Amino acid sequence: MTAAPPLLQVQGLSVRYGSVLALDGLDLEVHAGELVALLGSNGAGKSTTLRAISRLVPASAGGLFWGGRPLLPLRTEQTVKLGISHCPEGRRVLARQTVAVNLELGAWLRHDRAGVNDDLERCYSLFPRLAERRRQLAGNLSGGEQQMLAIARSLMARPTLLLLDEPSLGLAPRLVEEVMGTLADLHRNGQTLLLVEQNAEAALAIADRGLVLEAGRVVLRGSAAELRQNSGLRASYLGG
Amino acid sequence: MPDGSLLVQMLIGALLGLSVYLPLAAGQLSLATPGFMTVGGYVAALLSTRVAALGGAEPLYPLPWLLLELVLAAVIALALALVVGLPVLRLRGIYLAIATIALNEILRVLLLNSSWTGGAVGIFAIPQPFGDPLGYLAALLLLLLLAGAACQVLAGHPLGRAMAAVRDDELAASCSGVDSFRVKLLAFGASAVLAALTGVLAAHFFNTWNARQGSFDASITTLAFVVFGGSRLWLGPVLGGLVLTALPELLRPVGDLRLVVFGAVILLGPLLFPQGVVTPALLQRLPLPAGWRRRLLP
Repeated sequence: MTAAPPLLQVQGLSVRYGSVLALDGLDLEVHAGELVALLGSNGAGKSTTLRAISRLVPASAGGLFWGGRPLLPLRTEQTVKLGISHCPEGRRVLARQTVAVNLELGAWLRHDRAGVNDDLERCYSLFPRLAERRRQLAGNLSGGEQQMLAIARSLMARPTLLLLDEPSLGLAPRLVEEVMGTLADLHRNGQTLLLVEQNAEAALAIADRGLVLEAGRVVLRGSAAELRQNSGLRASYLGG
Repeated sequence: MPDGSLLVQMLIGALLGLSVYLPLAAGQLSLATPGFMTVGGYVAALLSTRVAALGGAEPLYPLPWLLLELVLAAVIALALALVVGLPVLRLRGIYLAIATIALNEILRVLLLNSSWTGGAVGIFAIPQPFGDPLGYLAALLLLLLLAGAACQVLAGHPLGRAMAAVRDDELAASCSGVDSFRVKLLAFGASAVLAALTGVLAAHFFNTWNARQGSFDASITTLAFVVFGGSRLWLGPVLGGLVLTALPELLRPVGDLRLVVFGAVILLGPLLFPQGVVTPALLQRLPLPAGWRRRLLP
């Protein structure tokens, strides 16, 4: 094999919440520059996967490796330092702080002031609406704007790998299209992404490949084109 | 009361309010402020009454030894804060509140039952470093100004931003790379040190010190300072400490109802002023010079 080693390697990862096995032996690799979609219905283990990668929940079995280096002994903030940025489900913006303060928080670990300022401008050009509202409190933004802010905040860490948890949740269809368009742009510019989505159609439209989780297990994996054609998936998630 | 002793007590209240505010600014409720104050007070009481070489018999207790007490009290309080904080602050939630109630009780029972600390009677005849309340007033005012300035710097500093982030959403802060454990530990440690420093000065001022200073009532009283004053800006707990310390003294006729007053404040405060009296919105409305407003608002 001459292929480059994977950026992120997940080996037989299991996560338990008490007696519930939320994730059951997941194998997954993400290579540099890829956009991988993690699909499935509610409770399938998608968010749990991201939470385990960014060390927000403990793993009960299996291994997690970042360029060969074990991730399991690390804490969340240490994974951020390594280049993994988790944009959590439900946006989680700091409602009582301004847009600008939220973005600064994303750059918390960085000390290159000039680079941070460049990235601020990049985020504002990526999401012009945030630029207009930079002095407003994040809690006064619309749901779509908050989602953009959450993504922008994650980008401010200048991550090698961006973990996105349901960025389309609760957004109007036109906004879903806008957010997905931005993710596709990021991907085109070389950003590596692991995207968790219930909206399989929107995710597969921009992903390189995807996995479908059901009750904590992978039931289907393949290229985005294959998955779009898959009859089972069409019936379950793509509305026929 | 022309001798200024009420003002001294008000300043002690303001400092204790800040001590409760600091961990709250990082989303952590510590009820151990009176406990740390008690520890600081005992450091002062024991050193100045039991160690003859420190000059406790002189008409005025030498200031260098007062400084030594302050340093020692700070170190001991910090060590205690680490013992409690290291295991507890790794967790998210209200565990610090529970652990600090336990710390208060352990300290109280230990101090109450140890003959070394004077048992239930405590320690009497603590020597005076200042001839009149004005000296205490100056010392406490200096400490309050230093603590207030530190809080003011913190509000605009990245560390202060990180504390606010941990308070508002610890998960989001962690996902942004903030070491929330360290931030919470720093805030708790600063709170302990400030309470202990206040305790040193308070013990000298009150002339007598005992374990009742760290009762659960005192925890609720200091918490009331912040509930009343507000926990968003450092001016809030300062105002709360000043006002709520003065109130029972000014209402001497109903002095026994002091706890009822505090109970009423804790009950009515959140109804009338859900965020406390001093809020960012209030500062926006007050006719302050623009520079002040910008500086006071984080």
